[in-house]
Amino acid sequence: MFCIAAFIVLIVMAAFSARYRRYVGTAWNCTVRRVTFRPCDTTFKQDIKDHLLAPIAVRRPGLVKPAGIGLEILAVLVIVTTIWSGYTVVKSGVNLYVYGTCNKQDSASCTLGAEACSIPEETPGFMASLAAFDVLGAFGNEFASLGETFAAIPARTQTWTAEDYLPANASYLTEDAANPVAVEVIDPGCTFCKALFANIEEAGFENNYNLTYIAYPIAGTEGYKFPNSLLVTQYLEALRLHPLPGAETPVDWQVLERIFTEKTDAGLPWQETINTMDADEVTTTLVEWLDEFGLTAAEVDAVVTEAASDSVTDIIAANKSLVEDDIHTLKIPTIIFDGRRHDGLVSVDNLR
Amino acid sequence: MKRSTLFRRPAVEPLDTGRTGDFGYLQPGEIYLDAACQSLRPQSVIDAVTEYYTSYNACGGRVKYAWGQKVDHAVADTRRAVLDLLGLSTKSHAVSFTLNTTYGLNLLLQQLPQGRFGRVVTSHIEHNSVFLPTITAARRLGVERLVLDRAVDGALLYEPAQLERAVVVVNATSNIDGRQLGNLTDLVRDTHARGGIVIVDAAQAMGHSRALLQKTEADAVCFSAHKMYGASLGVVVARHELLTSLELGFVGGGMVQDVREEDFDLVRGDPGALLEPGLQAWGEIIALGRAIDWLGSVRPGGLSPAEHIDALSTRLHAGLVGIPGLTLLNTAASPVISVYAPTQDSHRLAVFLSRSQVMVRSGYFCAHHYLKEQLGLPPLLRFSLGLHTTESDIDSATHALARLMKGLS
Repeated sequence: MFCIAAFIVLIVMAAFSARYRRYVGTAWNCTVRRVTFRPCDTTFKQDIKDHLLAPIAVRRPGLVKPAGIGLEILAVLVIVTTIWSGYTVVKSGVNLYVYGTCNKQDSASCTLGAEACSIPEETPGFMASLAAFDVLGAFGNEFASLGETFAAIPARTQTWTAEDYLPANASYLTEDAANPVAVEVIDPGCTFCKALFANIEEAGFENNYNLTYIAYPIAGTEGYKFPNSLLVTQYLEALRLHPLPGAETPVDWQVLERIFTEKTDAGLPWQETINTMDADEVTTTLVEWLDEFGLTAAEVDAVVTEAASDSVTDIIAANKSLVEDDIHTLKIPTIIFDGRRHDGLVSVDNLR
Repeated sequence: MKRSTLFRRPAVEPLDTGRTGDFGYLQPGEIYLDAACQSLRPQSVIDAVTEYYTSYNACGGRVKYAWGQKVDHAVADTRRAVLDLLGLSTKSHAVSFTLNTTYGLNLLLQQLPQGRFGRVVTSHIEHNSVFLPTITAARRLGVERLVLDRAVDGALLYEPAQLERAVVVVNATSNIDGRQLGNLTDLVRDTHARGGIVIVDAAQAMGHSRALLQKTEADAVCFSAHKMYGASLGVVVARHELLTSLELGFVGGGMVQDVREEDFDLVRGDPGALLEPGLQAWGEIIALGRAIDWLGSVRPGGLSPAEHIDALSTRLHAGLVGIPGLTLLNTAASPVISVYAPTQDSHRLAVFLSRSQVMVRSGYFCAHHYLKEQLGLPPLLRFSLGLHTTESDIDSATHALARLMKGLS
């Protein structure tokens, strides 16, 4: 164990100092024998230990024995942390490739991936499980998660066709029979969805693609990450079920556009405002907008009623399944176009 | 004065060691107790090597210019000094220079004439320099190999009949515990009486116990200059008869008088050259001459070298005997003392002592067969003294070891 730890430490130290390079070969030979369950045929381990303990031996010989035990424990820790670090690097790399984030538990915390609102993993993480004294669960969940990631690798390399992931009653920001379809997964309360919408408009994306969306309220630890996202989503789905005939832009898109791009009279962005309103205020606001967008009172009533219906609940549940089970994204927004799945905020250049 | 903390090396305070100025280059606190491996060189020997390389760096034995002539004279002086040191004559013996004792022994043993000898005889306590070549020599000659015991005092235990046509190869002084081949004279007489020869490994003897070898009748004496205050060099002192009887396998320039397409003539009247193929270590040979001069004149503490070493040996032995938990291999004081602690690893002790600037040898000292196989001992610690050693060196070393043994137990 000690020579393996010494090899790990020496390989790092040798990268910075030639002084240690002469020992790396010896340590490697010893390590190979140890990992193949053969006794180390050199005195390398003893030599290293003795030289480390010599300063103590000269001053406090009585401390040599406990210090020796401490070195053995330290060696175990070095190996465990090295293995864990290596595992984490590999896992993070695969996660980054598959999901666009190195941290599945909290995708937004990974700075290597695109900015996004994360969809939290419902399964407790390794350390959380350990903290709950669930050792079996910790390892079980960890390896299940890793298996899931590896199983998703083929999905990353596949050609993504937006038409395969269209929600029920898809509505399009613009429609042109000559343009391909693009579909984005958004949460109305997510600030990066707002940013993506701005990039889409700046890039003129809607002129090149028939863009539709899947409204996906991100779940939080209690309820939803953004408390009014479900309510807004219910209205968006109700509006899709009751489209306004003759509207140049579908009313649900007009609602999204207002949330993402416009401000209140007080100068605050609507998205931020809605995120802080209570449900009644949001309902009142949305009803006012529907009236403003040209719906009659009867049509507004129909939408309000539909928003609370089982049909809409079923549609939202189906969309949730579509996002989690078929698209397998961990980041909101996600947009599918050009044969690829783009996780997180996409730049203007990439949208062009 | 700053307090000594656990990891801060305490400042070394210069000691008035009374060390002879010939070793003035030793730094305060440095305690070298591995003279059995190689002795420290006095400044005059170092100066001799430096002088050769900087003043007359020429080949010997083959050039006519002044530098070369100077080298030839100095090398000849060294050969003569070696023989004088042993009380031998150029009429009967020749001096050859090699790499070290091991190389010298091999040159002799691996070139012995086939058919003349009936067995190879050696002893259990031999250094690998003797033990290994006697194995290969016996195989090459196709004869048996007899490994005999040595008495506690170092005498070889033999029956005269065991020496029939024997090649006897034994050390004069053990590198483990310093015991000496006290019955060398008898051994040589008995061996010669039965048509055999005696080759002596004098590596440990030449430094401090040369008296044993004075006017020796042995057929060859091999030793290392670097164990007797010279530079790194091997020396073979052999009888002319033995040298001229060798079936030479190692040949080269310097040992031939003439060369033809398919044959050559060896030099005449210079048997020593038969073991010196190729260019020699001229500077080191010259330095050996200087070392012999120095050994003849040095008076450490006003004592003769032998008296000085005896006194130090007694002090070291007494110091080590007094350390609890330590087992001594020696039965008496000697310039070479080996010990072990059953509960402590000797290599570890050597590393720990090194931290206190005490340099001692750990392991089996190239005597694996005797120490490891025959006695079944763990690796040992060896303390060996030289003329650079002082009483304070010994006191510091034994104190450091005693403190370690107490703390580690």
